[in-house]
Amino acid sequence: MNRSGATRHNHEHSKIATVEKDALLHLDRLSKHFGGIRALDEVTFRLEENRIVSMIGPNGAGKTTLINVVTGIYLPDSGEVYFQKEDIAGLPAHSIASKGIGRTFQLEELFGSLTVLENAMVGGHTRSRSGMFGCGFRVASARAEEKRMRDETMEALAMVGLEDRAFHSISSLPLGERKLVGIARALCMKPRLLMLDEPVGGLAAHEIEKFLALIQRLAKEGLTIFIIEHNMPFVMSISEQVIVLDQGSKIAEGSPEEVKNNERVIEAYLGEEV
Amino acid sequence: MTLLSLIVQYAISGITAGSIYAIVGICWTVVYLIAQVLNFTTGEFVMLGGMLAWVFLGAGFGLVSAGILATACTVGIAMILERFVVRPIRYPTEMIYMMMTIASASVIKGISLIGFGSETRTIEPFIAAKPIRIFGASLTPQVICVVGVLILVMSGLSLFIHRTVFGKALRASAMNLTGARLVGIDINKFRLFCFGLAGGLGALAGIAITPITFTGYSIGLMTGMKGLVAAIVAGWSMTGTVLAGLALGLLEGFGAGFISTGWKDAFALFIMIVFLILKTIPLSRRLVRKKP
Amino acid sequence: MNRSGRVRPHLPWFILIGAVVLLPVIIPSKYVIGVMFLVGIYGVLAISLGILIGHAGLFSLAQPTWFGVGAYVAGVLAVREITPPWIGIIMGALFVALISYSMGAPLLRLRGHYLACATFGLLIIGEIAFTQLSDITGGNTGLLDIPPLSINGFVFRNVFHYYFLSWALCIGSLWFYSNLIHSRVGRAIRSSHDSETASKSMGINVPRYRLQLFVLTSFVTGLAGGVFCFYLRFAAPSIFSFALLVELILMIIIGGIGSLWGYLLGSLVIIWLGELINVYLGKVLPVMTGEVEAVFFGVLIIFVLIFMPRGLSGWVEQLFRLGKRTYEQVRRNPA
Repeated sequence: MNRSGATRHNHEHSKIATVEKDALLHLDRLSKHFGGIRALDEVTFRLEENRIVSMIGPNGAGKTTLINVVTGIYLPDSGEVYFQKEDIAGLPAHSIASKGIGRTFQLEELFGSLTVLENAMVGGHTRSRSGMFGCGFRVASARAEEKRMRDETMEALAMVGLEDRAFHSISSLPLGERKLVGIARALCMKPRLLMLDEPVGGLAAHEIEKFLALIQRLAKEGLTIFIIEHNMPFVMSISEQVIVLDQGSKIAEGSPEEVKNNERVIEAYLGEEV
Repeated sequence: MTLLSLIVQYAISGITAGSIYAIVGICWTVVYLIAQVLNFTTGEFVMLGGMLAWVFLGAGFGLVSAGILATACTVGIAMILERFVVRPIRYPTEMIYMMMTIASASVIKGISLIGFGSETRTIEPFIAAKPIRIFGASLTPQVICVVGVLILVMSGLSLFIHRTVFGKALRASAMNLTGARLVGIDINKFRLFCFGLAGGLGALAGIAITPITFTGYSIGLMTGMKGLVAAIVAGWSMTGTVLAGLALGLLEGFGAGFISTGWKDAFALFIMIVFLILKTIPLSRRLVRKKP
Repeated sequence: MNRSGRVRPHLPWFILIGAVVLLPVIIPSKYVIGVMFLVGIYGVLAISLGILIGHAGLFSLAQPTWFGVGAYVAGVLAVREITPPWIGIIMGALFVALISYSMGAPLLRLRGHYLACATFGLLIIGEIAFTQLSDITGGNTGLLDIPPLSINGFVFRNVFHYYFLSWALCIGSLWFYSNLIHSRVGRAIRSSHDSETASKSMGINVPRYRLQLFVLTSFVTGLAGGVFCFYLRFAAPSIFSFALLVELILMIIIGGIGSLWGYLLGSLVIIWLGELINVYLGKVLPVMTGEVEAVFFGVLIIFVLIFMPRGLSGWVEQLFRLGKRTYEQVRRNPA
């Protein structure tokens, strides 16, 4: 079979499998308002495992708010969030993170006083256990765990191509590399679901190429990836499923082709190239 | 004394102290709202007002001139503080501002000790008249002066903030600093003004209260903290601070009178801590469906 | 690992321990060793406060109060012969930890300068409490006639004994804190200071770590208080006051925020500066009390914050880098 044939075959296979699999992430009429503004209005969708899903929408549509609510930074006002069939709405952010949801931030939110390596190692926090006394007295188990985490983190850095920068300070890195640190940090959580908030904003074309390759590689390794982006060519080329948000409501969902030709989507983006 | 006269007496001393706390609270609030600085030298302004008034009176000036000179000097010191200590900070953070003003308070206190000695000082009451008897309690004219100063300060500030352009600009800055800057308001000048204002008001309060409670190089800390308590409890609102200051004074007056004097100061601080903590508990009902 | 990736150097530790051990041999002066005792004790305080403020971003100003409670509890237990002195020290520290633990959870919800205000309030309440509870604490005059420290029969009789004890505590706590800072827990704490949102999103339970650090530093400070009271043989409210806080802040700033060794250096500099001021200026200004000392310290704080915001350790770092660059340049161009 040639390449496209193999792809088609896999697609058929996964379509059947979808019907039986439960969603990795399921949002059910999720709502969040700030004062008078409805940032999220009964948003509902399902995210299947091992897919690359993008969310697009005009500025202010509520996309970042959605990630913030799912990851527990904000509390929802109504609606449900299920992750791996578990109801996580209302849990504190650190609990949700330890269940396997990793994320990056639009404005990176890196830890300025830590090196690149240390930033990424923070991601590994939930996968280690040493406590205050273990760390303070440098007991053997703490030392061993530190070495293990360090090695794993270097691997993550290598995956994003930053292993040479491990001991640099954050402030010395250009934007593209800072974004990669954010991703490495999230990867160190070994999450099931990775939520990326505008990961390629401000990057040069060749950096976006590298990033595309990275995403595809991560997807092949079993990660489910949820991307918020404005860069349409990027979204269209990488997504299996696209969800469109406008003023807090989901107005379209489907394959990139379907969404591209959707009337409401075009309207929402009036004037923009889709 | 009968119970009634006791109550009235405590109320009188409470309102006296409360008036001072109210004014000091306004000094904190003004600087905090405009400059986002917790100015720990506020208490020292009060101390300086009384001390310098004593100095000038001793040098032969009349009451009014001594008062004006003392206030002017304190305003000058406050402005020097802003210009040379607060403004030059290169990477301003809340903590650095705090440390700077704490350090400055220390400096002022120490210099006062060297310059004015360690004994408590006092000045003559403004009006030489006999105290009035109310329900068996004694109301001295000085108390009326203190309350009078408070009323003057309140009305003066209110007029200034609501009627003058400068005052309106001040309110605008307090509400939205960036917006204010964008319309051309010079923040440095404003900060300078607010520090000076705090210095002047503090000095006035200090001068007014000295005939009653005396003054000394070390009174700055507690007086300042009481004002801070009032400002915090009131959530940095101007009228709220006045009310909170008065309430604090009254609570203290009755507490010290009927319970004990030693813990009086601790009481005010305890209230501040409780209020600060209570404010962190959200009032609005949020959708917290489960605990972790 | 330190910033450049090499294993954290052991050399500075050896130098420090060596210096501490050799000092009484080289300069066997009771006065000097006595002052160095204070450097050790205040070093513990400065490092503890520095970690709270610099690494964790918790502006807790109640350090002098924990110091005092540790001192008073140990002192009272010894004076009333309820426990052997050295157990008193541990009891004192545990009592401090208990208080800070019970207050910590609500207090640490306060952000930034509100936490500073609240803990500043605690500081003053503490001083008032030490004065008012005169039945226990001896009030303003203080707790007198504390017996000397003894452990299993070995009595700490002279200043040299206390000196080694204080530096054992100081180096021990510096080592512990240093390990902590470079470890998983340390990263969790430092990251929560840089970006609480991102830290939470990485699974870090920020309030819990803050409370742990708060209680830990108060415990260590309480230990120092216990040792201190046995050296001084008395305790008084005026020691654990606002003036001490100003001194500690100065130590942290002059040492340079962010560097543990800097805080210790700050203690060394400021304690000796205080001694110099007392000795030399005491002759000029007869009214030489803690207040006047505070004037110098206040001016110094202002000066350092404006002109040297990264403190001495910032200086040392710059010198170091400059030295390295020069060395490398010379190596490349041996002409």
